[in-house]
Amino acid sequence: MMLTLLVLPALIMFIVSFFKNKKAKFLLPVSSFAILLPIIKLFMLPKPYALIGSYLVADKLDTYILLVSSIVGIGVTLALLTLDKHVKVSANAYRRFYRFFAIFWVGLTVSILSNHMGVYWIGLELATLSTVYMIKTNHTRAAHKEAWNYMIVGAIAISLVLFGIILMYASAKPILGEDAMQFDLLLSHAKEIPSPFLFEMGFAIATVGMFVKMGFFPMNLWLANIERASFYPVAALFSGILESAVIIGFFRFSQIAMEVNYTHLFGFVFVYTLLTIFIVSFLIFRAKDFMRLFSLSGIEHMALIALFWVSGGTFAALLHFGAHAFLKPALFLSTGVLESNGKYRIAGALRGYKGKKGQLFWVLVSLFLLAIISLPPSPMFFSELYGFGAMIETAKHSDHMLAMIGAILLLLILLSVIFYRFVAIYQSMKYEGKEEEKKVYASELFALVIFALCLAALLLPSSLDYLRSIT
Amino acid sequence: MSVDFLIGLFLATLIVALFTSRLYRLILWYSLNSLMLGILALLIGQELDDRAMLITGAVTILIKSIGIPYLLKNLSHKFNFVRQIQPEIKVQYAIILIPAILVFTFYLAEPITHMIHGNANYVAISISSLFLSLLLMMEHRNVAPKIIGFLSMENALFLLGITATDGMPMLVELGIFFDLLMAIVVINLLFHGEEMHS
Repeated sequence: MMLTLLVLPALIMFIVSFFKNKKAKFLLPVSSFAILLPIIKLFMLPKPYALIGSYLVADKLDTYILLVSSIVGIGVTLALLTLDKHVKVSANAYRRFYRFFAIFWVGLTVSILSNHMGVYWIGLELATLSTVYMIKTNHTRAAHKEAWNYMIVGAIAISLVLFGIILMYASAKPILGEDAMQFDLLLSHAKEIPSPFLFEMGFAIATVGMFVKMGFFPMNLWLANIERASFYPVAALFSGILESAVIIGFFRFSQIAMEVNYTHLFGFVFVYTLLTIFIVSFLIFRAKDFMRLFSLSGIEHMALIALFWVSGGTFAALLHFGAHAFLKPALFLSTGVLESNGKYRIAGALRGYKGKKGQLFWVLVSLFLLAIISLPPSPMFFSELYGFGAMIETAKHSDHMLAMIGAILLLLILLSVIFYRFVAIYQSMKYEGKEEEKKVYASELFALVIFALCLAALLLPSSLDYLRSIT
Repeated sequence: MSVDFLIGLFLATLIVALFTSRLYRLILWYSLNSLMLGILALLIGQELDDRAMLITGAVTILIKSIGIPYLLKNLSHKFNFVRQIQPEIKVQYAIILIPAILVFTFYLAEPITHMIHGNANYVAISISSLFLSLLLMMEHRNVAPKIIGFLSMENALFLLGITATDGMPMLVELGIFFDLLMAIVVINLLFHGEEMHS
């Protein structure tokens, strides 16, 4: 019953997307709003709650991620209402966007709620394939090329994930049989896995696949180029929702890998994420347009989330994840307004907004920009503090305290580079360039207000308590 | 013995595909590669008395060996694909590179093969097939051979699933087939877009 309710709005959206009636345009966002209702209901139910046997099970972690994703989905559909005011988009492409968004949502719900490695992969693959066409809704040569690019590199990444899953399954099958696909059983029997090396190899391969999908080393510019070429709501979906589905897989796999051999897991993820942040920080320093800037910053944040998670900072990772999931789509959606009067023009992008709507828009964008570089009271400021604390705590139990302090110092230097670049960009947006009058529409402003409220809600004591209770 | 022979043919069809410079030949080699995989699944399924693997074997033959090649040929007619597909890597280099990949993967998979009972060497072959499929994707500039590379990669993973785990759960196998069909739909839509741009 609950699963039907979760998937029903997406099915309605899918069917309505075939109607050529002009009024259907308004029914599509309404169905997107309807997604939130069953998720709120699910959020309130006692956990763990089995949706389909042991295949789909809602626990505190996946319900939180699903709730965040559904709010991002609402924000994106609100911004979609005025997409044609900023860019050229045909009615047909618009309906197709929704059709694939519905498939994307089903895939995403399945992968987030899955308690089964195979089902997780199927959901993720479905979500990945549906995004290919969303990139293509922008009828430009660059978008077309990037859609193919995404299809091919995405297929390689997702194949690596399946490859890893098969090896992990093979490692645990002798003790668990066909149930070796279930995350909860794997976690409870992790120490009994007869061939830990095989499991670790599978985990490493699957993790590389997931990291490639999130734009980590060596594919740092891959995702940025795709987001640049597609319409801005697609970039918002990528950073706010699709990456959530990928990172929850990483959370699940790494929970088991921690039990198998924590030192190997930590070393591998630590080096990989540090290398990614190192490269990304310099790419951010050279970024010349909003899309690439926000996309690269998204990679940096996902790397930090992975790092905090494996350091044992579950709370820090989840707080950082929530803040990232609201901030990045908000900034990507703002890009639609910021760039509509001249692409790639950073200087003066925050000038020329008149009236109450305009003023509220530039204030919100300024707050988001400053929040993304972790200026207090941004949730990212607190998550980074807790995250670095967790890293130090981990080092206390090893003989590598000096190395960890060195690594944190290096991270702080790299984060300062990013901080410097963002502040310089903000100053250029606000105080340089010509002042031209720009228009902000109510629906996109409403989306930004929702994201701002959600960010504030993240810092409420009850939200923080909820995040602390997730283990 | 027959399983060994079929695995050999599976690998051989993939290696020949790497040297092919005509699109229809490449589709044919992919079709044969899938056929070997399907028969392998049927044989191993019969040996293990695993009904799920028998079903997936039959579905593999129907979809991957007949359905997808037929669809790809149709798409090629419809959208006038370039049929002369010269690999970017020259034959003389490919002759050195492919055995090197095979030797490397056997060496790489050695620690794993000790942990898997039964068809241990087959795991190494599936890993090498995965690398060879990646090579197929890399060595062509045109989209069609890249798609076949992606489909061959799916075959390599399926082989790994059969050999390393004695078959994945039925639900997962069917889900993978569903995703594959979805991929074909998306590819079709992308080609429509390509036609619009040209």
